[in-house]
Amino acid sequence: MHIISLFRMAEQFYTVASDSETTGDDKVQSAFPDLAIGIDIGTSKCSVAIWNGTQVELLRNPRNQKLMRSYVMFKDDSPSGGVSEELAHGEPEIFSGSAVFNMKRLVGRVDTDPVVHASKTLPFLVQTLDIGVRPFIAALVNNVWRSTTPEEVLAIFLVELKAMAEVQLKRRIRTAIITIPVSCSRFQKTRIERACAMAGLHVLRLMPEPTSVALLYAQQQQLSLHENMGSGIEKVALIFNMGAGYCDVAITATAGGVSQIKALLGCTMGGEDILQNVLRHLLPNFDTFCADHSMDKIKLMGLLRIATQDAIHKLSSQPSVNIDVDLGDGNKVCKTLNRSEFEEVNGKLFEKCEKLIMQCLVDAKFTAEDINDVILVGGCSNIPKIRSLVLGLCKRENLYEGIDLLEAAVCGAALEGAVASGISDPSGSLDLLTIQATPMSLGIRADGDGFAAIINRNMAIPARKDMLFTTAHDNQTEALIAVYEGEGKVAEENHLLGYFKITGIPPAPKGTVEISVCMDIDASDVLRVLAGVVLPGTQNAVSPFIEVRMPTLGDGHGWCAQALAKMYGSSLDLAAIPKKLQQ
Amino acid sequence: MITPSALACSQFVGARIPSPFFLPISKIRSSPRCAAVTATAPAPEATLYDVLGLTAGATSGEIKAAYRRLARACHPDVVAADRRGASPDEFMRVHAAYSTLSDPEKRADYDRRLMAPKLAAFGRQRWPPRGPRPFSSSASSTSAATSFSCYGRRTWETDQCW
Repeated sequence: MHIISLFRMAEQFYTVASDSETTGDDKVQSAFPDLAIGIDIGTSKCSVAIWNGTQVELLRNPRNQKLMRSYVMFKDDSPSGGVSEELAHGEPEIFSGSAVFNMKRLVGRVDTDPVVHASKTLPFLVQTLDIGVRPFIAALVNNVWRSTTPEEVLAIFLVELKAMAEVQLKRRIRTAIITIPVSCSRFQKTRIERACAMAGLHVLRLMPEPTSVALLYAQQQQLSLHENMGSGIEKVALIFNMGAGYCDVAITATAGGVSQIKALLGCTMGGEDILQNVLRHLLPNFDTFCADHSMDKIKLMGLLRIATQDAIHKLSSQPSVNIDVDLGDGNKVCKTLNRSEFEEVNGKLFEKCEKLIMQCLVDAKFTAEDINDVILVGGCSNIPKIRSLVLGLCKRENLYEGIDLLEAAVCGAALEGAVASGISDPSGSLDLLTIQATPMSLGIRADGDGFAAIINRNMAIPARKDMLFTTAHDNQTEALIAVYEGEGKVAEENHLLGYFKITGIPPAPKGTVEISVCMDIDASDVLRVLAGVVLPGTQNAVSPFIEVRMPTLGDGHGWCAQALAKMYGSSLDLAAIPKKLQQ
Repeated sequence: MITPSALACSQFVGARIPSPFFLPISKIRSSPRCAAVTATAPAPEATLYDVLGLTAGATSGEIKAAYRRLARACHPDVVAADRRGASPDEFMRVHAAYSTLSDPEKRADYDRRLMAPKLAAFGRQRWPPRGPRPFSSSASSTSAATSFSCYGRRTWETDQCW
């Protein structure tokens, strides 16, 4: 219902804006009626870009901003987002409890997730029951906590972005390329797609952020090395992207406009964590301080957040900074924070960044010497320690220049939008292709609680692979195919995507029946799982296979695995057939 | 450039998602004889080199270049623009060939398996009676590539010494 009222609001707002607009800016015309726009929904900031016929152009909101704060403010009757809204009381208003932000970190997560728990210190209400269901999220409206969901907040924000783009492009927008973090699970992806659908946007592709940067890099390489086009001369780039919410690494090999993603890796770690680390350092009882969510505490917390955020920004350019915030009741934060202290407080986080980069190099089968360019993007790239650690690991002196660290992802998404919409450019600057790779392994539960990966991570997309399994018990006639995504050795450490049952298995001693499980990811990243019994040694199906599009799970999937275990125990288990017997 | 067997294969596959009865194609993907089993085209022994349109002596640079060129031609993202419901199988075949041949270890292993039956034949027959000599000239066509490899002279190990 928020969405509907917002649609109306946004339309009115932008109708007025477009009527008063008399400067005939016809550069971005509706020459390409179905051209998809690129949207980068950041944890902190958001942007929209489009291919204007000759190059990528970022769209601006009525306040002439290219980067807009990602938040939605809930007020008396209808919510409004950071695209159009002007804050009457400035920045502190976002931290008043009435605004919901960081939705990119919350969307599609269950209430047992540590990221959701870390969000409890935010000014709006995040409540968990710790049973594996969707967390309860609410914004303060007229002194009442009014409930909402991360998807709804995201949708409201997207409605505003879409309305803004429609006014500027003077046409309806139907399709979009949305950038997502690498570590985004398939379940989270369905939630983002749902939010887009609520906002009336068809998602052409959900593109991992560093791969979108890789596409922009591929285009730049193609334009600068035109004579090498089509030849095998390739350039390898390492892309490190750390924003407010997520950290991603990708390695791409580029030649002739084709960007081949060799490896990608990511985790939920970003500026928000850096901020929380510093907040805990400044105020050791930080978590309990904001637990009660009283109006006073929210206000004080907001002030402290702003002061700390500001201090962290300043530390990127100066060696030390003063933080002075009065929290009342004798609580006072007054401290000089220097750079080495800041680096120590975030030591573990920086270590994790290093591990990600090293793992990504190993996955791509490259060493630091193979890297031609090091590309740093995302808001946290301004932090000197991040720069030095990335350059150090890649054994480089300088970073790649010519890529804007905050705009690169959205520019790449706009390029992909043009390519995927079938637009070609006479100059050849759209002769581009990204060969994506799977960010996480996909497999099923087998051999007790084990996880048998069928499609490994970093496999080129589209991908298809199958594996043979067998029964775990004598005369077993049914088997459960539980599909997981992740890297954990134990199935439960990974994300459960869905499950289905194979029935009608011919009774036989355990280990003799062959059950084929095939996983297929098409070019639009849709995962299908096909399974059925085959005659041993042949490929002939005993009875029709079952094909399931994943994920099938809705909310509450934390419960499903437990419920299945309780209901069936190990009676429907599968065992993997050793590799050497898999022909 | 797409080899005749690749085209035949994709036409055969038709639907984007295979029906259960067609599942074998995915199984076969991992086997080097991919084209031999699935394709009805006259090239029964299409090698991974044929898939990429290369000769057995191709350098790693040539393999990469061929892969990119073929990807630009058959990746569903590119093809989808003019041909709806494009099959990803063509691209997956090309990628499978590339991922084996671009990895020196896997390539050596594959070359050895490719040569094994031919080396055995070579033992019985001291020198092939007729045909182009190794490294004779433009062995760029698929048929030349296969006939070339028939001589069984090349293995990965010796390759590296040349």
